[in-house]
Amino acid sequence: MTDVSTSSETTPTSAAPLYELRGVTRDFTKGGVTVNALRGIDLAIEKGETVALEGPSGSGKTTLLQLLGALDTPSSGHIEFSGRSLENESDKVLTDIRSEEVGFIFQQFNLIPTLTAEENVAIAMVPRESSHEKRIARAQELLTQVGLGHRLGHLPSRLSGGEQQRVAIARALANSPAVIIADEPTGNLDSANAQEFMALLHDLHKSSGVTLIIATHDEDVASSTLRRIRLRDGAIISDSKRP
Amino acid sequence: MFSLSYAWNELRRRIGRTLVTAIGLAAGVGLVMGIIGVSEGLSVAQTKALSPLGAVGTAIIVTRTVAPTLSTVTTTTTTPTGGFGGGGGGAGGFFSGRGASSLNSSDAAALAAANSSVITDLAKLGPAGTKFTHDFFVPGTLITFPSNAVGDVSKIKGVTSAVGALSLDALHETGTVPKITATVKTGGETITATVKPPVLTAAQEAAERSCIEKAITKEFGSGAGTTGTTPTGGSGGGARPAGGFGGIASNPAINKCLTPAQKAYRQDVLVPEQTINEVLNPPTTNTQTSTYTVASVDPSNTTSGLVTKTQLVKGTWISKNPATAKTQILVTTAYASQKGLKVDQTLTINSVKYKIVGLVNPTLTGDVSDIYFSLSNLQSLSSNANRVNEVLVSVANAKDVSTAAKAIKKELPGATVLTSASLADQVTGSLSNARKLADDLGGALAVVVLLAAFLIAGLLTLSSVSKRVREIGSLRAIGWSRGRVVRQIMAETLGIGVIGGVVGIGIGAIICLIIGAIGPGLSVTSTGLAVGASSASSLLHQATTASVVTTVRLTAPIRFVTVVIAFLGALMGGLIAGAIGGWRAARLSPASALRDLG
Repeated sequence: MTDVSTSSETTPTSAAPLYELRGVTRDFTKGGVTVNALRGIDLAIEKGETVALEGPSGSGKTTLLQLLGALDTPSSGHIEFSGRSLENESDKVLTDIRSEEVGFIFQQFNLIPTLTAEENVAIAMVPRESSHEKRIARAQELLTQVGLGHRLGHLPSRLSGGEQQRVAIARALANSPAVIIADEPTGNLDSANAQEFMALLHDLHKSSGVTLIIATHDEDVASSTLRRIRLRDGAIISDSKRP
Repeated sequence: MFSLSYAWNELRRRIGRTLVTAIGLAAGVGLVMGIIGVSEGLSVAQTKALSPLGAVGTAIIVTRTVAPTLSTVTTTTTTPTGGFGGGGGGAGGFFSGRGASSLNSSDAAALAAANSSVITDLAKLGPAGTKFTHDFFVPGTLITFPSNAVGDVSKIKGVTSAVGALSLDALHETGTVPKITATVKTGGETITATVKPPVLTAAQEAAERSCIEKAITKEFGSGAGTTGTTPTGGSGGGARPAGGFGGIASNPAINKCLTPAQKAYRQDVLVPEQTINEVLNPPTTNTQTSTYTVASVDPSNTTSGLVTKTQLVKGTWISKNPATAKTQILVTTAYASQKGLKVDQTLTINSVKYKIVGLVNPTLTGDVSDIYFSLSNLQSLSSNANRVNEVLVSVANAKDVSTAAKAIKKELPGATVLTSASLADQVTGSLSNARKLADDLGGALAVVVLLAAFLIAGLLTLSSVSKRVREIGSLRAIGWSRGRVVRQIMAETLGIGVIGGVVGIGIGAIICLIIGAIGPGLSVTSTGLAVGASSASSLLHQATTASVVTTVRLTAPIRFVTVVIAFLGALMGGLIAGAIGGWRAARLSPASALRDLG
């Protein structure tokens, strides 16, 4: 964090939460119909938390994840990440935040089909590391860490779903982010692979202290986190932490 | 900037899409190369066929033709000398009379005389009934002028060399010296002149009187009065009546008394009788005439002239040794094949055997002659000592042509100064039509084809980017900026452009080679070139072809510049496609990686 703002609104301290959301809304207008995907979210997430976002389809989980991942900005309200307001930031700043602070894991894995496992991981480092060799070396290190040391040169199409999602984890970790945002990461995995995947994620959390925010329908996934936030119709209906 | 390995893998692992897009570009680029090639080929054909000046190392041709307008009388115009082939004295000072401007009516008359003098009297070839074969050389419309004009031209700034040349029409006549068709007898008349007799001295008068008196007394008796018959006047002078004097003088007795001077004046003039045989209408005999054209080369200058050594296709050039050159000629391939002539064969012209030392293939021009002699040889053969009718001028620099041409016009008033540019305008035929078409449409066609290729490549890229929405969204999500994504796509399409360029150059080369192999013929008709000598035919009422038709094979040369243009075109196509694809990608929000997807 290089940004030390002097404005009264943002007073970063060591105890400041990773995320702070106040009255955040997000509307989508499509074909003249406005959908209120989020209607006034107030939320704070501390560093190192493991959070599950639960709720039925259309409850606003994905929209909330996009805001938290600096992929989108709210229609109204205030959102702060590590003491920095995100709502009025330029695309460039949001891009930098995604690159430096956020790791994404998607339900569809979203690997680049023409790139091998190691290249898929390395591609995330392109904005920050100019040396191709260094990128590949780090990618191999990360893939070995997630147990894919023997699959480095394979194209995604030659990997199983579980393996692809582990490549996605390695990619998410590539830039040592502060937070990993996962959208239904086990949605396309069988239960065994899902369990393996969550175990891996929790191991990483324990070893690096990375914050985990996971949107999920899966009770097993949700119950593995310390905090569960339930959404319905764009609003938080429950937010529970277990000790 | 962008990830090279990513771009490379995209191209490599989506080989189908890469090739389809690249071939789209390649087809466009190849076609454009073909179009440029044909256009180039037309230029080459035109240069080859229509710019004889450049092809013979000459930038400007200086000639003197009959000017259509009459102007002030030239300072020096001598009478034509006549004789065989005698354009020689035609019009002495065409270029020497600096003040004089264009050719006037007397020049034109001189030219006509020079061209027609050859057929005035075939009887000069021998007695009637003699079989004869004779070649006459006439200057046509190109009037000869003293060769010192060549020196004048060579002194002009920018002129590197000036070569004088003769280009003549030849009339080859065979037949029998005709019987006299008209006989005119002249002479036989007696002419009596009225003159003033010499004045006598007093002593002569006294002696003459006494002599006459004696004669009268002897003839007519003494009774006759002396005074009555004594001529009046005497020493007092005054003309004596001729009749009286004659009357007395006609008497032989009295005649004796006259002084020798008086006797001489009394003599009658008798014109001797003679017969003049005049040929009134020579061509009505069995004389057969064929025409061909002759021109000169300077044996010591092989790079500039009406033909040059580069146009020699067989044999050798005319010797530099004047003695050897005297019996050597060059023949054009066309004339050789028409007449069945070969190198080392001999041709007899006016009883001199000439050896064909080489065959030449001159460029198409009004100045294609059938036989080439050395200049000095042709000058003596056509009685044109130290005279030429063309000056071939080389200049140091192509851009000097127009200024040098102006200077020559100033230096030699009335000269016709031709440059390659002015020659090219005088040409018609399918080549110039094609050339015109290529000029008019070629560029537009190339642009349309290229734009179509760019559009195809752009659309293919657009569709490819649209299929990669999730991929691009993911890239944005993992921290790729919009600019980086656009650059990445442009790097990919630039790669496609490179492939398209290479393949397109191959396609274009094949198109050009096929055109070259088929080599469609283009006709070239060069009409009314003032340089040619053929216009003499109109003066002589002979039928010769006034225009030269040649067929030139179309080629489509591949030039380095064309290849570069083709390659740059393909790269540009790749960049345009990339810009279109990139614009589409840039519009994608990073959130699309998560949203709208199953």
